[in-house]
Amino acid sequence: MSFGGDPFTAPGSVGGGSSDGAGGSGWVPVSPRLATARRITLLLGYLLVIAGGVGIAISPLAIGWLVAYAVVALTALVWIWWIIGRRVRSFGYAERDNDLLVVSGILIRRLVIVPYGRMQMVDLTAGPIDRWLGISTVQLHTAAATTDATIPGLLPADAVALRDRLAARGEQRNAGL
Amino acid sequence: MTPRRTNPLSPLIQAAPALPAAAVFLLGPGAGMISRGGASVIALAIAGAIIGYAVFVGAAWLLWWRRTYWIDDDGDLRLDSGLIQRSARRLQLSRLQSVDVVAPFLARLVGLVELRVEVAGAGDSRIVLRYLTRADAEALRTRVLAASQQADSIEPGAHSPVDPLALVPSGRLMASLLLRSVTAALLLVTAVLLVMTIATQGPAGLILVAVTGGLPILSVATEFLANYGFRVDRTSQGLRIRRGLVSTQARTIPPDRVHAIAIVSPLLWRRWHWVRVTVTIAGVEADQARPDVLIPVAPRAEALRLVAEVLPGVDIDGLPFESAPRSARWRAPWSWRFLACAITPEVIAARSGRLTRRISLALHARVQSVRVSEGLWERRLGLATLHADTAPGPVDVAARHLSMAQVDTLAAREVAEMRRARHL
Repeated sequence: MSFGGDPFTAPGSVGGGSSDGAGGSGWVPVSPRLATARRITLLLGYLLVIAGGVGIAISPLAIGWLVAYAVVALTALVWIWWIIGRRVRSFGYAERDNDLLVVSGILIRRLVIVPYGRMQMVDLTAGPIDRWLGISTVQLHTAAATTDATIPGLLPADAVALRDRLAARGEQRNAGL
Repeated sequence: MTPRRTNPLSPLIQAAPALPAAAVFLLGPGAGMISRGGASVIALAIAGAIIGYAVFVGAAWLLWWRRTYWIDDDGDLRLDSGLIQRSARRLQLSRLQSVDVVAPFLARLVGLVELRVEVAGAGDSRIVLRYLTRADAEALRTRVLAASQQADSIEPGAHSPVDPLALVPSGRLMASLLLRSVTAALLLVTAVLLVMTIATQGPAGLILVAVTGGLPILSVATEFLANYGFRVDRTSQGLRIRRGLVSTQARTIPPDRVHAIAIVSPLLWRRWHWVRVTVTIAGVEADQARPDVLIPVAPRAEALRLVAEVLPGVDIDGLPFESAPRSARWRAPWSWRFLACAITPEVIAARSGRLTRRISLALHARVQSVRVSEGLWERRLGLATLHADTAPGPVDVAARHLSMAQVDTLAAREVAEMRRARHL
């Protein structure tokens, strides 16, 4: 059993494939609504940035400062906006016979393999913006604190179904700590 | 067994920390208040400290009076305590994990010890009895062990004269602490600074000397006191570790709860082939009474014998290591030759480090998940890092900067081994 040379390649598909993790076939992607949720959070954070701009505007500083500030802030906004899209597309998961695989990340790519028998708990969470947009997060916990298996941006029905499937398989295979 | 109280001297010891607190208070704001009264400051200070101590003793005495322990008919250890809010704790001794006799400094002055009884379970699943006479503690320890149906495995206690598996002579302990890379470097810096300060007569350097010299001396002293007389014995429940100068601590490491170990050899120790061995034990976060050190310093051969006790059947020197590719030198120019990973039927092992060399091992049955991470620079070089996640502890099993193909095969093999290890 192997992933065909590149552990980030989707299970089942052999050879190359997209390096953006979930881009290839085999990985189940997360909902694009996750990008919307993260962009809303970003815009909320930008209220502070706007407040800073207003502060500069009413201060006795030259207008040039305000323009420079706006250019930097807008460039950053566009860049983070774009990164959010790529980051959300990088998420993917795959349920195999004996374990769950989760990939994520653009700059640092991560792959987590959690055997069903090692799962201790499956968490299902949704914040206020998530609920409004209709997405939830499923998180797997094992006895190791470093296990970082989080799948955000699942449609609520998918999330509940995934959690129940995982819990059932975990119970079936659980051998305890 | 009828409910009984701990030793009546206990409140006196438990309130002892209040003495320096009262003294500090009197040195500061208290002194001002008192001197305004006009009486002799010293007399008042002493009287204040005594009254403060008496108040704390009184409070501790009330708590002592309301605290009773016994082993009930079901074989559970019970502890009722609390003055206003009563609490009843009950430990199921059939799930006994450890029962340790500890002698903190102050208690030892009056010949008392504390007994820690711990059962398997999440959170705070232990009872600490402060304080008992040594004889009472040993008697209760025997009863606890008997109640846990391990009566056949009772150890003779803290005075066993049998040959220890390992002993750390204090000279070697001190030398090893001084020769730790960071400590040695800081002491060297201190020496240079001292010389420079003396040569230039500048006072500013002395502050730096206090920091660069003070910190390592403090840490050496702390570690020396904690690990003084380190001794490992084999008992039927596992390896029993005893250590400590000011307060002695004892702890048993049951082999079936060892999840991972690391064998560490700092640069300056290698001349004598010394290593240190740390362990990750299930459900136990390291604190003072629960050492995560299997041996603080020992010749490699002796340390490997100890490792064989907790990881039987693992040949540390015969691990089939697979080394990082040459391209790893661009990511880790110093240590790339030592980066390697090995998988045997029992363990996954990772080797790393140039100055401080380290071999970390985790049992397949104890690995919780497998993680692969690949940073930007690693991706350029076609490298990735493989992590084996274990229970929280000092050991981190990470095989760094291997080639993608290696990580791919190793990850797949590890996942298969993890499954096989649980099905045996």
